[in-house]
Parts: sequence; C-alpha cells; structure tokens
Amino acid sequence: MNKNKIYPMWFAALALFIYTVLFVLPGLIGIGYSFTDWSSYSNQLHFVGLENFKTVFSADENYLKIIKNTLVFTLGTTVIKNILGLALAVLLTKSIRLLNFHRGVMFLPSVLSTLILGMVFTSILNPSTGLLNTFLRGIGLAGLSKPWLTSPVYAFPSVMAVDIWRGTGYIMTILIAGILSISQDYYEACSIDGASSWQKFRFITLPLLLPTLATTTVLNVIYGLKVFDMIYALTNGGPGKATTEVLYTAVFKKFGTGQYAIGTALSSVMFVFMVAIGFFMIRTMTKDEVVE
Amino acid sequence: MKLKKTVVLSLTMAAALIFTGCAKTESGGTGSAASGESASQEAKASSGKGKDGVTLSFMASQDWIQDAEIELSKKFTEETGIKVDYQIIPSDQYVNLLMTKLNTGECTDIFGAQSGRFDIKAQINVEKNAVDLSGTAFSSQVEPLVADELSIDKKLYGQPIQDVSSVWAIGYNKKIFEKLNLEIPTDYESFTKVCDAISAAGITPIYECVSDGWHHTLWLPETGIQAETKEPGIIDKWNENKAAFEGNATLTTILSQVNEMVSKGYWGEDYMSNTYADSAKNIASGKYAMTIANQGFGAEVNKVNPDIAVDDIGYFVIPLADNQTLNVNPAGPARFVFSGSKHQEEAIQYLEFLAKEENLAYLTENVSKFNKLPFQNAPSMYTESVQDFYSRYTNKGTVIQTAVKYVNPQWSEIGANLSAMIVGEMKPEEVLKSIDEVRAQQAKAAGDPAWK
Repeated sequence: MNKNKIYPMWFAALALFIYTVLFVLPGLIGIGYSFTDWSSYSNQLHFVGLENFKTVFSADENYLKIIKNTLVFTLGTTVIKNILGLALAVLLTKSIRLLNFHRGVMFLPSVLSTLILGMVFTSILNPSTGLLNTFLRGIGLAGLSKPWLTSPVYAFPSVMAVDIWRGTGYIMTILIAGILSISQDYYEACSIDGASSWQKFRFITLPLLLPTLATTTVLNVIYGLKVFDMIYALTNGGPGKATTEVLYTAVFKKFGTGQYAIGTALSSVMFVFMVAIGFFMIRTMTKDEVVE
Repeated sequence: MKLKKTVVLSLTMAAALIFTGCAKTESGGTGSAASGESASQEAKASSGKGKDGVTLSFMASQDWIQDAEIELSKKFTEETGIKVDYQIIPSDQYVNLLMTKLNTGECTDIFGAQSGRFDIKAQINVEKNAVDLSGTAFSSQVEPLVADELSIDKKLYGQPIQDVSSVWAIGYNKKIFEKLNLEIPTDYESFTKVCDAISAAGITPIYECVSDGWHHTLWLPETGIQAETKEPGIIDKWNENKAAFEGNATLTTILSQVNEMVSKGYWGEDYMSNTYADSAKNIASGKYAMTIANQGFGAEVNKVNPDIAVDDIGYFVIPLADNQTLNVNPAGPARFVFSGSKHQEEAIQYLEFLAKEENLAYLTENVSKFNKLPFQNAPSMYTESVQDFYSRYTNKGTVIQTAVKYVNPQWSEIGANLSAMIVGEMKPEEVLKSIDEVRAQQAKAAGDPAWK
C-alpha cells in the first residue's frame, strides 16, 4: 500500500487532545478521588489508600450485593432482549399484513422517556389499584395478582421485565436491518436443497446475523451496567435495603449523603468492570475480522 | 509543512479557548456573586435619597421571604430611611451560592440559612461569619428551643424567619373516635386497644406510605425523644460517641412496635405502595382513621371532603415506647447578620423592627402558613384542635434528627432500612447498628474528634 495515502498520526492530535482534556483527565481525577476521604463534611482532603475499596468489598456492607444485582440485571436483560428481539425480528421480516405497523408498535416503547415509563409502570404494577392486578382479579385470577414492585421476591424480576419490554423493540429493529442485509440467494439455494425453515434459520440467518448480535450484545451490556433511570423511577433501589439497588443508584445516593469518596470508589469499580468486559467483548467480536 | 503549521496553530488556539472557557466559568461563579454585589452597590448609590443613605442587602432562598415581609420593609424605610434590597435565589442553588459568598468574604449584609446547632457551626461557621445578636432587644423573646438551634456557647447568632411549631403527630378523625367511643391513647397499650377497636369496626387504623421512602421513617426519630426522657443525657452521649443506637432499649422497643403494628394489620395491606400525596384523600374517605401528619392536615382533609371540618381532625403524639413528650423540631430558616458587613448596626435595626409585636402579628395574619412565629411576644392563630393538642403535652423535646448529629443526612437510608425491617429482611437491632455505622462514616468524613 502506498504509504503517502495513510494520513499522518498528528492529524488525530486535536481530537486526542480534546478527548484527553474532556474525558480521560476527569476520569483519572475521579479515580484519584477514590483514594481520598473526599466528603461534603470537610474542606480538607486526605489520602486514605485503599480504605474506600475495602469498604466497597467488605462483607458487612451491601456493596457486593449491589455489584451482583448490576451483573444479574445486565446478564438477564441482555440474554432475554436478544432472544425476544431475534424472535420478533425473524417474525417481522416475513410478509405479513401491516408489517410496518407491527414494527412501529414494538419499537415505540424505546422512544419513550424511561422516567415516564417508570411512572406509568409504577401505576400499572400498584398492588391494589394497578391495571395489571385489577385485570387479573377481573378475569378470576386473583391468585396471580402480586405486590410486583413492593415485595422483595417480585421486585427485581418486575424491574427487569419492564426494562426488557422497553428495550426489546430497539434490539429487534437492529436485528431486522441485519436480517434484511442477508442475500436472498442463500435462502433460495437452501430451499432447492430441501432445507426446512428451522434449518434456514440455524444455518443461514443465525451465522450471518452473528456480527449484528454481537453489536446488540455490546449495546445491552453497556446499557445494563450503566442502568439508573429505570431502577430510580420504579423502585429507587427498594423495597428494603438493596433489593433492586444497582451501581449507579448507589453512587447517586452516596453523593446525596455527601460521601463523595465512596461514590467515586464505586464508580471506579464500575469503570474497571466496563473496561474488562468491553475489552474481552471487542477481542471476541473482532477475532475473525480480516485486517487489511 | 504549511498544513502542519495550520494544525499546530489551530491546536494552540483550541487549547487557549478551552482554558479561557475554564477561567470564564470560575470567574463566572464569583462573577454572579459580584454582579449581585454591584446591583447592591447601585441600589446603595440610588438610596442616597433616604435619611441615612443606607441600603441593606438581604440574600435568601426562595420561599423564605414573604410578601408580607417586603411590605413591612417599606414601613421600615419610612421610619428609618434605610432601604432593604432582597436577593431571592432559587432554592436548589442557594446553599452553593451562600457558601461561595461566605468563603470569599463578600456576603450580603443579611443572609438566610437553616438553623441547627451543628450545621450553623460546621457548615456556615457563624462564629466567624455572623454577628453575635445576644445583646439585641429581641434575643430574649426568641423561644428557648428555637434559640438553642441558633446559638453556640450561649451566644445567639440568628433570628428565626418562619413558624417551626408544627410537629409530626398522629392526626386522627375525631368523628370515628367519637362513634367508637375512643379516648386519645396515652401509651402504647392504649394505642393498640384503639387500633383494635378501629379494626373491629372495619376501618384500617393507620394510613402509612412506605413507597415515598421518608414518611414511615418518622416513627423512629420523632418518637426517639422518649429515649432521652427515659435516660436523661443519652442525646449528649450519642453526640459525644459515648453511646450507640444499637442496644438502646427505647429505640429497640420503638422498632419492635413498628413491626408489631404491621403484623397486626394496623397499617392495612397497601402500606408498601401507598403514597403521601394520597393521605388526605384516604383519611377524608373514612377508610383510614389515623396517619402521621403535621398541623396543617385538618385543612388538607377539609379541602378534599368539606363534610370533615378542619377541627374534626385532632392530633396526639406518637405513643410508641409510651412516649408522651411533644416532639418539636425547632430548626428552620433564619436571618444572620454578616460579620463583614459595613452596615451591621442598620441590619440589627431591621431585625429588631421585624421582631416588634405588631410586626410579628402582621406577619402571622398575612402569611397563611404561619400559626405562631417562634417569639414569646408573637400572637397565636391556632385552631381550637391544634391549641388543644399543644397544650395537652407539658413536656417538650427536640426530635432525634435535629438533636443528634449525623442522623438527618441519612434519612433516606434509615427509611430503606426500616422498609427492609418491615418486609423481614432486617431485625430492629440490625437497623440500629446500620445507623451507628453510617453515623461513624459521616463523623469520620467530617473529622469529628469524638470519632477519632
């Protein structure tokens, strides 16, 4: 390749400079603060070493449960959104009536504000006056009406269910684009060979859709680790101590009580998680890519 | 090469722009403070027409300055020639702006701030930033409990702005009590009997709303004053870190009784999803008989259901752990005279003017939320029901969240622990232990010597 055609590195200098000043530097300063006793109660800042991280990983505290909640939420919503999104995408690329209407209906929840959705679902899932329980009681299934958001048993699955309902349409749209980009020739060839619908899906759609599925997985994982608004609007981490608490709601609360150092320590832990997960995912996704 | 030069030049310019931007923000912060000052300066210049030619600047958070006070200031100007320039700041920005002004030594002549004996020392540092008002004419008129929250070493630093008399008590529907022939309970046992009788009549005894996260928390710190009644000096011990919440018999009893109320069904079934905004509606409907409320609740219920008169809602103190002490919270917004002000004398003159009997009466009559300003010479506008409630309890005590350090900042955390206790995830002792731990964290963060 002609070396003159490759742009020199210093073309990226301005972008790198701005990125460093606005993103890298504040990030590093934030991590730096997690080694101090920064709080709203004192003007002075002292270096405390790993004290805040000891607190975060201490068995007496709730933080391990919060980290576990975040990971369970991420894993659960990512897997289910991908499976449901894929099923809907396959369904909505067939020639059915009112195709665009169906696609629109499925995509709609994704464009609504999460906070508004949270409020709407708080009302729908209200145990005494909510739409869901009223409906269940109305059709004689009173036994299935549960305290969805106010019981420690049902709260976490309910929050995940609302988030899955909201996010599936978005994943479906990306996967539809992926499916539509697969050449019809493969399917035709398959049909001539006498392949069943399942075989077409298993041996053509799925392998050719893998790069798109990798993208949706990355999007879901990043969203899941960073989730805040949905939990905040539905349960605010409750009921009880930390039933549905995730990292960002915990960081928000620590800043609210003026314990900035613990808040930044939690953010730093999250940063490490995201870098580690992101690194391995990108490695896995790009391992088959051809480098020119 | 030309391109290289252009890029280097644009890089330098970009860097310069960014740093100028940063510098702008900083000077913007003080700039807004400075612009406030310059506005005052202009006002001062124009006030040369007044007898003394002085304009006092007074900065406060929104809702702290009432129209009635602005009207009174006009009368003050007529009498003395001193003008008052109000700088009203949105409440979410107020504390930051006040702290910036105090830290740069450029505050207004009078500034508003929340009282609270710990906060005025740790946060506002009134010993440095405010003038000692102990020698003023009104200092002896400020109600003692309220004055305590404005004083350090017996020196009064502030003047209360608002009525702080309202307390969180059990508001009850008098009609239900009369119908069932019930008396106001005076201890926990009689309270359970009242609840049992109400339950037997098919009415849910207590409306509680856990989902808001703060209301159900009231049961503990509001009745916690009983710990001081039973063991005088315990509040000081808590503040000096010589005693812990964990293991305190009164606090443990209160929490166990909260659990008992829930398990006996006194809170009904929907307490986890009920909201505070619906409390007046639910009491007005007659489905519930009691709720924790303050003394404006009668008017709220009356608004929803005019058949229930304001005085049909009565009040009694929360009788958990047999508490019969009126749980007052004397903290609230107050006026302070800035120690760096050139017009300290005139500022004090203004505060003395406001504390005159006729002016206190004017404020009470013209501000609907004021029933009794915390001055001994202020008139009382309580309804019969509220007056009856206040005069029923001779003993008064300051609620735990104001009397004990590092409790108020963890209010929502206590709320989460209490709901965990209610759903069976935590035991009363664990709730108290958790409060101790968070107090210790905050005290260490504050560098409190008692926790070293």
